[in-house]
Amino acid sequence: MLTLLDQLDKGTLWRSPGGIHPPEVKFLSNTTPISQLPLAREYLVPVPQVGENCTLTVKVGDKVLKGTPLTQGTSIWHLPVHAPTSGTVVAIEPRASNHASALPVNTCVIAADDEDRWCKLTPGSLELSNQEMIAKIHRAGIAGMGGAAFPSHIKLNPVSEIELVIINGVECEPYISADDRLMREYSQEILAGISIIHRLLAPKRIVIAIEDNKPEAIKAMQQAVSQSVLPTGSVRVTVIPTKYPSGGEKQLIQIITGREVPSGAIPAKLGIVVHNVGTAFAIHQAVTQGKPLIERVVTVTGQNVGKPGNYWLPIGTPVEHVLKHTEFHAEADQKVIIGGPMMGHALPTIQVPILKGTNCILVPSSQEIGTTPEEKACIRCGECANACPALLLPQQLFWHAKAEEYDKAASYNLKDCIECGCCSYVCPSDIPLVEYYRIAKSALKQAADEKHQAERAKLRFEARIQRLEEEKLAREAKAKEAATRRQATMTATDKDAVAQAMARIAAKKAAAAETTADKATVEVVDADASNNTEAPKGKAAVAAAIARAKAKKAAAAAQGADDAESSQQVVSSLQTASSDQSEPTEHAESLSQKDKVAAAIARAKAKKAALKADSDANGDTEATVSANQPVTESAISTDTDDKKAKVAAAVARAKAKKAAAQQAESTDVAEVQPKHEADAKPESTNESDDGAGNQSSSDAEPSAPLSPEDEKKAKIATAVARAKAKKAAAQQAESTDVAEVQPKLEADAKPESTNESDDRAGNQSSLDAEPNAPLSPEDEKKAKVAAAVARAKAKKLAREAGASSDANE
Amino acid sequence: MAFKIASSPHVTRNLQTSTVMQRVILCLLPGLVVQCAFFGWGTLIQVLLAIIVALSCEAAVMKLRKRSIKASLSDNSAMLTAILIGVAIPPLAPWWMIVMGTAFAIVIVKHLYGGLGHNLFNPAMAAYVLLLVSFPLQMTTWIAPSTVALNTPSIIDSLQLIFNVGAHAGMEQFRLGIDGISMATPLDTLKTDLSLGLTTTEIMTKTIFDGSTGVGWFWVNLAYLAGGLVLLKLKAIRWHISTGVLAGLFVASNVGFLLSPDTHASPLFHLFSGATMLAAFFIATDPVTAATSPRGRIIFGALIGVLVYIIRTQGGYPDAFAFAVLLANLCAPFIDYYVRPRTYGHSAG
Repeated sequence: MLTLLDQLDKGTLWRSPGGIHPPEVKFLSNTTPISQLPLAREYLVPVPQVGENCTLTVKVGDKVLKGTPLTQGTSIWHLPVHAPTSGTVVAIEPRASNHASALPVNTCVIAADDEDRWCKLTPGSLELSNQEMIAKIHRAGIAGMGGAAFPSHIKLNPVSEIELVIINGVECEPYISADDRLMREYSQEILAGISIIHRLLAPKRIVIAIEDNKPEAIKAMQQAVSQSVLPTGSVRVTVIPTKYPSGGEKQLIQIITGREVPSGAIPAKLGIVVHNVGTAFAIHQAVTQGKPLIERVVTVTGQNVGKPGNYWLPIGTPVEHVLKHTEFHAEADQKVIIGGPMMGHALPTIQVPILKGTNCILVPSSQEIGTTPEEKACIRCGECANACPALLLPQQLFWHAKAEEYDKAASYNLKDCIECGCCSYVCPSDIPLVEYYRIAKSALKQAADEKHQAERAKLRFEARIQRLEEEKLAREAKAKEAATRRQATMTATDKDAVAQAMARIAAKKAAAAETTADKATVEVVDADASNNTEAPKGKAAVAAAIARAKAKKAAAAAQGADDAESSQQVVSSLQTASSDQSEPTEHAESLSQKDKVAAAIARAKAKKAALKADSDANGDTEATVSANQPVTESAISTDTDDKKAKVAAAVARAKAKKAAAQQAESTDVAEVQPKHEADAKPESTNESDDGAGNQSSSDAEPSAPLSPEDEKKAKIATAVARAKAKKAAAQQAESTDVAEVQPKLEADAKPESTNESDDRAGNQSSLDAEPNAPLSPEDEKKAKVAAAVARAKAKKLAREAGASSDANE
Repeated sequence: MAFKIASSPHVTRNLQTSTVMQRVILCLLPGLVVQCAFFGWGTLIQVLLAIIVALSCEAAVMKLRKRSIKASLSDNSAMLTAILIGVAIPPLAPWWMIVMGTAFAIVIVKHLYGGLGHNLFNPAMAAYVLLLVSFPLQMTTWIAPSTVALNTPSIIDSLQLIFNVGAHAGMEQFRLGIDGISMATPLDTLKTDLSLGLTTTEIMTKTIFDGSTGVGWFWVNLAYLAGGLVLLKLKAIRWHISTGVLAGLFVASNVGFLLSPDTHASPLFHLFSGATMLAAFFIATDPVTAATSPRGRIIFGALIGVLVYIIRTQGGYPDAFAFAVLLANLCAPFIDYYVRPRTYGHSAG
C-alpha cells in the first residue's frame, strides 16, 4: 500500500467523474507572447474589490502614483486596491460593474497622466519572517487569480497543517491561455513564488498540475523545477489529461490525490491548499519587489477580435479600451464574455473594468458561439448525469428546480453543484440547466436568509415577551410591597385609635356585662394587661381584661413586637404571621368573590383576612385575631355595623378555632418551633371560648351598646359559627397535608366551610346576613340550644386539638 | 452598444434530441432489412403504415395542445415509436391493428401523459401489449421464415392480406397458417412442445430451429445487435441498460439451463430469439421511461432481463419483452429514488 506521498511522487492520477471535452480553441491566443497595450485614458477601479469594510485613502482630485493604495481595510478579509497607473482621481462614484447585471458599484476613476510612475516600492527578501511576508502579501492585495479572487494571504496562513500544495496550471476552460503563456514565459518567477509558498506553508509536497494540452508550459515548468532551490523531490510537475473541468479546485484535488473535499468544507481540511500559477507569480512580485497586484495577464480572444493574444492589463482597464486596441469588430447580437465559454459571464456593456479575477475577454463570432437554441423537453437521457463532475443528478435537480420545489432540489445536493456547465453543454434538449440551478440556489439562499431573519425576529419577540413579563412581575412585586407598606403604616396609626376605642368599649362593657371569667384568656394576656397604657386601669371584670388584653396585643403587634416583655407567643406568632402574609390576601379575594349569599360572613372573613395581611395582630393565631378583629372593626365602624360585626366576629372566631385545630394537626417539620408556639396559643384561646360558655358572646357584647335582640342574634350567630368551626375542624383534623400545602388548604377550606354553613344553617345564615330581622322567641330558644350544643362540641374538639398539638410537641 | 446577454455555458455540444432519435432510427435499419429478408414485405408495410399514423396523430395532438407541430414532428420521437411498433407486430397482421396500436401509443400513452419526456410507459410496448391482450391470435401468428416456408407472399399478396382487399379465400389461409406460410415462432413452438413433454433437444430438431436457435430469428437478432453496437459507439445510448438486459437474461436462462437442460432452452437460444436484441438496444433504452442514474439503469436492465426469462418460461405468452419493459417502467421511479450516485464530497450512504 503506497502512501499518498508515494503516489504523488509516482505521479499517480485518479479519475474525476464526468467532465466534457469541448473544443479548446486555445490556438487563437496561445501562440504570441504576452504583450502590453497602450495606457488607457481612464482607469475604473472598483473600491472595494475583495472584502467589505474599508475606507478610501484618496479623494477626488488627489494625485496618485502607480501602486498607491486606494483603500484601507480593517478586516482581514479585505484586500487593498491600488492605483494601476499614475494620474489623478477624477471621480469616485458608482459605475457599471464587471458582472452580468452591470449593477453599479463604487468606482474610483483615475485619469492617467501617461507617466505611469511607480510609487516607492519596498523590495523584500527571503529574510522576512513568515508573518511579515503574509502581511506584505496582504498589503499587495493579492487575490486568487484563477477567477474566484479569494484572498491569498488567508490561504497562506491556514489554521491546520498543510501537507500538499497544488499549483493549478490546468487552465481547463476553452479559449483561455493566460496561465499557459505565463508558465511559458515566467516559469522562474512562478517557481520563486512557489518557493515563498513553500516557505510559508511548509508542505511535504508541492505539485504543479498542468493539462497535457500545454506541452510548452509543462516543459518550461519542469525546467524551472529542476533549477529550483527547493529540496529535491518536494516539488514536481504532474501532467493531467485534458478534460473540462479538471481545473476546478475540487476536481483537481480528486485527480491528484484521489480524495474528495468534504461537502461544505475547504481543502485545508484535507491538508491541501490550491494556488493558481498566476497567484504564485503575484506573490513573488509582492514579496521580492514589493509590487502590489495592479496588473494581470488577460487572454483576449475570439474570432471577432483582430489581435487575439495575451496582454498585461492593469486592473481597472476598461474592457472597451482593451477591445479597441485589439481590433474588435462587433457584429449583430455580439456577445462579450468575461471568462471562458463554459463559466464566463456575458457583459451588457463594455465600459467596465478588468478585475483581479478576470482572466479572459472572449468576443466570439456567431459561428463560434451562436444564439442559445430554444429549450426543449427533457427526455431523461441522463447525459447530464454522465457529464456531472460532482456526481449529481442534474436531471432531477432540473425537474425540481423547474417545478420550484427548491427543498427537493436541495435534497439532491444542489449546493454541491459547482456550476461548471457540463450538464448544459451535453443536454440534447438545450435546457439551460445551470441557469435553473442558479435560480434555485438563490431562491434557497433567500429562503435561508428569511428563515434566519424570522428566527432572529422570533428570538427578539420572545426576549421582549420575557422582558415585559419580568417588568410586570417587578411592577407587581413593587406594588405589593408598596401596598403592604401603606397598609402597615395605615393600620399602625389606625391601631392606636382602635386600641383606644376598644379600651373604651371594654370599659363600657365591663360596667354592664355579666362577668365570665376565663382563665385561659387571661393566661395569655394578663401579664401584659398593665402595659396597656390607654386602657382604663383597675377594671376587675375579666371580660374587660380580655378585651383590653386583646386590644393591647394588637397594639403590641403593630409596634412590631418590640415589646420585650410580651410573651413568647406574641413574638412567635408575629414570625409566623410574616410567613403567612400573602395567603390571607388571596383568601380574602376568593372569599369576596365567592361568597355573595352570606354577605356578613364574607365581610367578616374579609376583614379578618385583611387584618392578617396587615401583619398586625398575628397571622397564625387566627383565633386571637378573629377575636380581636370584630371588636376592632365594630369600634371603627358606625354603630349600625356593630351588629353585623358581632355576627362576623362570631363566625370569625369559629374559623379561627378551626384554623387552630388545623394547625394543631399539622405535622410540619420546617417551622416546628414557631408553629408549635403558634399552636399553643390558639388552643388556649379556643379553650377560653369553649370553656367559658357564654364568654365568646360576651366578648362581643361589650363592644357596643346592643339591643337585647341583637344580643340574641349575636349569640345565635356565635353558635352557628361554632358549629361551622367544629365541622371545619373535624374535616381538617383528618387532613395530613404537608406544610407547604397547608396554607393553601386553609384558603380553600374556608370558603367551603362557609358555604356549607350556609346550607346547614339555613335561616340562621340569613339571620347572619340581616341581623336586623326581629327574632321570634322560638328562634331565640332554638338558637340558644344550638349554641349550647355547638359550644359543647367545640370544646371537645378543642380538647382534641390540644391533645394533638401536645403530641406534636 | 448593447451586447447580448446569455447565461453560461455559452457553448453546447450541439447534439440535439432529433439527432439522437435519428441515429437510433438509422441503427434500426439493418435489423429491419434482415427481418424483411426472412419474413417478407409485410414488416416494411407495417412500419410505413405505423409512421403515417404516428405522425398524423402527433400532429393532431400538438394542434390540440396548441404547440409547435413542426418542432414536435422534427424531434423524430414519434417516428421511432412507429418503427418499433411496426417491427414488433406480425408482418401480416391486419392494418387496423397497427393503426389502433400506433394511435394508442401516440395519443394515449405519450401525449395524455404529457408528451415527450413525460410518459411513464414505453409507448411502443404499451401499444404492443394492448394488441397482444386484445387480439392474441393475430399477434402470435407469425409468418414462417422464407427459408423454411412452402411459399412466400409477394408484396402484392402482403398488401392484400394486410388491407384485406381483393383477397380471395386462399389468402386468408396464409394468415391462418393452414398451408404452412404461417407458423408459430420458435419461442411459441418451444413453449408448446415443452408442455407436450418433449425435450429441448428433440424440439430443436424441428425445421423452425436450426439446431440451437430459431431459423431467421438468429440473424434478425444479430442485425439488431450490430445496430445496437453502433448506437453505443455513437453514444446515442449508454451501455448500462442493454448490458443489464442481456446479463439478466443470460444469467437467468443459464440458471434454468444448468438446472434442467432438457426442459430449458440454452442461454444462446434466449439471447437470439424473439425480440431480445431489439428490446435490449432499442426498446429498453428509451431514456424517458428508464431509470436515470447509471447504476439505476443497470438494475433497470437486469430487471427486464430476468422478467423476460420468467415470463417466457412460466408465463402464458411466448415472448415477454413488452410486459417486462412495462413492469420495469413501473419500477423506474422507485429505482431512481433509491439508487442515487454518491455526490462528490459526501460520504457513502
